Amino acid sequence: MANAEQVNPLVPQIGKIIKIVEETPDIKTFHVTTDKGKPFTPMPGQLAMFSLLDVGEAMFSITSQGPEHLELAIKKVGMLTDALHEVEVGQAVGIRGPYGNGFPLEMMKGKDLLFIGGGIGLAPVRSLINYTIEHREDYGRLWIIYGARSPADLCFKDDLFKNWPKVKDCRVDVTVDKGDADWKGHEGFVPAFVEKLGPKPEGMVAITCGPPIMIKFVLQSLEKLGFKDEQIVTTLEMRMKCGIGKCGRCNLGSAYVCLDGPVFTLAQLKQMPDEY
Amino acid sequence: MLKISKDQIGELLNIWAKGAKVFVPQENGGTSQFKAWEGQGKLTLGEGNALEPPKDLFFPRTETMYRYRVRDPEASLEELAPLEEKRVLVGVRSCDARSFAIMDDVFLTKGYIDEFYRQRRENTAVVALACTTAQPTCFCTSFGIDPGRAEGVDLQMWPLADSYLLEAITPAGKDLLEQAAALLTEAADEKVPAAAQPSLTADVGGVTEKLQQMFEHPYWEAVSRKCIGCGACTYLCPTCHCFDIQSENRGDSGYKFRCWDSCMFSEYTRMAGGHQPRPSKKERLRNRFLHKLQYFPERYGKFACVGCGRCLDRCPVSMDITRVVREVKEVTL
Ligand code: SF4
Ligand code: SF4
Ligand code: FES
Repeated sequence: MANAEQVNPLVPQIGKIIKIVEETPDIKTFHVTTDKGKPFTPMPGQLAMFSLLDVGEAMFSITSQGPEHLELAIKKVGMLTDALHEVEVGQAVGIRGPYGNGFPLEMMKGKDLLFIGGGIGLAPVRSLINYTIEHREDYGRLWIIYGARSPADLCFKDDLFKNWPKVKDCRVDVTVDKGDADWKGHEGFVPAFVEKLGPKPEGMVAITCGPPIMIKFVLQSLEKLGFKDEQIVTTLEMRMKCGIGKCGRCNLGSAYVCLDGPVFTLAQLKQMPDEY
Repeated sequence: MLKISKDQIGELLNIWAKGAKVFVPQENGGTSQFKAWEGQGKLTLGEGNALEPPKDLFFPRTETMYRYRVRDPEASLEELAPLEEKRVLVGVRSCDARSFAIMDDVFLTKGYIDEFYRQRRENTAVVALACTTAQPTCFCTSFGIDPGRAEGVDLQMWPLADSYLLEAITPAGKDLLEQAAALLTEAADEKVPAAAQPSLTADVGGVTEKLQQMFEHPYWEAVSRKCIGCGACTYLCPTCHCFDIQSENRGDSGYKFRCWDSCMFSEYTRMAGGHQPRPSKKERLRNRFLHKLQYFPERYGKFACVGCGRCLDRCPVSMDITRVVREVKEVTL
């Protein structure tokens, strides 16, 4: 719902970048705060409209947060993101939000959670992984399956290889499409990797996010493994402008991804037109 | 009921223009448009509606949202002063009056209020003008709209041969009549004229349910073939409300504005990185018609078409939404 402090939901707050983490050659994580502290407090899976005022505005998932800041992981794909990749710590930015429904935390309570991410698609899922780690007692086992094109393209390496494997009852499996000389891990695409690992659907909810083409194949793999449509949760990416269900940009049938999404169960998605 | 002679309509507008900015259909470079009344002008209050809908008075073609100054790495932002200009919109037909209710649903409900729209909408009084003659492209009655009496307006006017009848609906309408008391006389014998009866119809009953089953139907390929994607239909439609947000920079300062956009344009859904969920005009035209006839009813409980006929009148290839409705209902699944 509308943020109480923000009277006009289309006008951003001015924030400042306080830290930049280079995740991969084309993905950076930006830590953002404002003079008044954290811009707002999102739930896992919610979105922020983020801008360089004189360049442009676009919607990004909020990958993590601290008491005083938000974190956005951003891949270089166009004019705005190219410009963002050039900025340095201290840069003023615009930020508004939070937008969207976030992950269905209640529905996931008490369940084992299977996170499947590809490339930058780990960014939205990571907000949920961190949340479930903070609320460890509310959720069953955590299993993270993640893949990227190459070892250099793996995002959030500290989490993948150091932090998450240390968490109680948390398993992490990583694959790359193609390894390099130093790579000792698994090679292959995410959907096939998931099938090979063969998670059992009983008592489990699968959360998947990544490039549209990967999602399509992961969904097929999950169905093969016996997951029901209600047990599969995914997040959609659509071009967005307003973020508040007015500009019409992000409609999927009668739903607006910015308001009613970006998180949908596969059961919900199957009710909607295939236009994403 | 009160009346005013048609000769005195200019004076009436002048009186209202003392306390507000008055917008009324006037001839403007060959088209008829709601334009600010400045004491004179060629009014087009006769037969037929303004070619351009009045939506831009609540939702301007381009609208500044805020200003900013960027001196890297610093930046500051300046919000605009609230819009307080009072407006009176005169000569709004029943179809366009319904379009305001539709726009209200979009901009004022579902969790967020669009401040830019709200300020304009709340500061505007609406004076409706009944239709006694329908144009060949009018089909408002198909949506339960009464061309003889508009919904949600402040004041209703009816045209007679030499005069207009006026009836206040709201306190704001009453106030407008009081301002003009000197020009108005009691209508003794005159009766409210019969409403127009459009001959064109669209039998929209059940069309939403039918469309729900037609997303993949080859019909969309066939019907979209002749569309040239010009977007005229969306610009002239009183209920189309899609917008884009852009920046304009001059030196180290600039402003953010929004402007009308159209789902008929290919850039509309294209994402950074190139992914395009609606690659061809088939998907785009389908989205436009489904939005009017299926998605909007699903989301807001009403059709997003008011039967004004502007799109079928002006489409360069004569795309006709009433024909689409008919064909959709005839399609076998
Ligand atoms: S006005 Fe006609 S040709 Fe132009 S985009 Fe609309 S339907 Fe297509
Ligand atoms: S779709 Fe066409 S007839 Fe319907 S309201 Fe829009 S312009 Fe008027
Ligand atoms: S981004 Fe404007 S409606 Fe969703």
